[in-house]
Amino acid sequence: MNSNQESSALATDRKVVQFLLRAGLGLSVVLMFVGLVVSLSSGETTPTPVEMKSLFANGLTLGNHLMGAGVLLLGLTPVLRVLMLVYLWYREKDWKFAIIALIVFTTLMVSISLGGG
Amino acid sequence: MHFSAWVVIALIVSGSFAGLLGALVGIGGGLIVVPVLVLGFGVDIKIAIASSLVAVVASSTAAGSVYVGKGLANMRLGMTLEIATTLGGISGGLLAVLIPAKVISGLFAALMVVTSTLIVRSKELPKRAPPSSGENANSVDGQETVGQLSGSYYDPYHKELIHYQAERLALGSAVSFVAGIMSGLLGVGGGFIKVPAMTLGMKVPMKVAAATSNFMIGVTAASSLFVYFARGLIHPMIAAPIAIGISIGAIYGTSVSQKVSPGVLKKIMGVLMIFTAIEFFLKTMGVTFGI
Repeated sequence: MNSNQESSALATDRKVVQFLLRAGLGLSVVLMFVGLVVSLSSGETTPTPVEMKSLFANGLTLGNHLMGAGVLLLGLTPVLRVLMLVYLWYREKDWKFAIIALIVFTTLMVSISLGGG
Repeated sequence: MHFSAWVVIALIVSGSFAGLLGALVGIGGGLIVVPVLVLGFGVDIKIAIASSLVAVVASSTAAGSVYVGKGLANMRLGMTLEIATTLGGISGGLLAVLIPAKVISGLFAALMVVTSTLIVRSKELPKRAPPSSGENANSVDGQETVGQLSGSYYDPYHKELIHYQAERLALGSAVSFVAGIMSGLLGVGGGFIKVPAMTLGMKVPMKVAAATSNFMIGVTAASSLFVYFARGLIHPMIAAPIAIGISIGAIYGTSVSQKVSPGVLKKIMGVLMIFTAIEFFLKTMGVTFGI
């Protein structure tokens, strides 16, 4: 990779990661805000705990479901950022860092599986 | 706990201040969010830490996106250290479930005293040169190197391009592991130990270290957030307003941080935090001064 190609690849990495972080944050904030409004307008006044796996089952109020989904999406945003960098660095043939990103992604998957178990 | 719309608004405002101060003073959101929730809103310490982790992911994602866009955060360096921080984050999250709340409160109070003392004693960085007319908010300030733990950034104060090469990766990884444990156990970002480790230990310039640390925090906090989420410690009605507030505060704070000199603000915050730490410690240990 010559220096022009390298600069262009780095610029793409920055743009893609920046977009992903902003989109993930923006969408999760919207979900949390709408959920909050729904909860308050339906008269919920006591904070109740929400487990990750309960998001995929019935039983939660709509407000808690939306806010919980917002929290989950927020937590997944950095995970997707890691996965995106696995792909981008693999494409740039930067094998060493693609493998490092893959190790971080695997560790995060272990953490998520603790949540699902 | 009874949550009216006013309490929710108060949480959003508190989150905004935490995000703003985090960006301006460098005290991450967690060190403000946890005591505010425990002392101000009577939230249980472990629920406060879980909520703080949600907020920390939000503020790091907001600030991180700015630093990535500017090329200041070295993503390859950050990712390499994230191997250690995520392992630490999961360990911290699992430990938090086992350790009694009073011990965690004591550790948190101690952490507040240490970080606020460091902040009060910290030296003022040289003021940045005023932006030249050609500079705009979207300009790139730095770049990393493909395949290596190195890069360069433009120093506007000395008006020169600074090249750097990260050294002593083992040391940086060891400190990052500890930072990850602290993040998972206490709901903080851990930037206050990662940044000195990167600057003093790994010879990474301050600006790059601060930006890279911020970029890393989202992944670190997410690794322990999932552990708390699985244990039913996330209360969306507490976590959501704080996270919404901190995102607004962090985005605004990061955009104005170039123009603000935080000297006096830092000292006030530091002293205020020492008093808060004492109150936090006494309250969570069950000591009250009844009137």
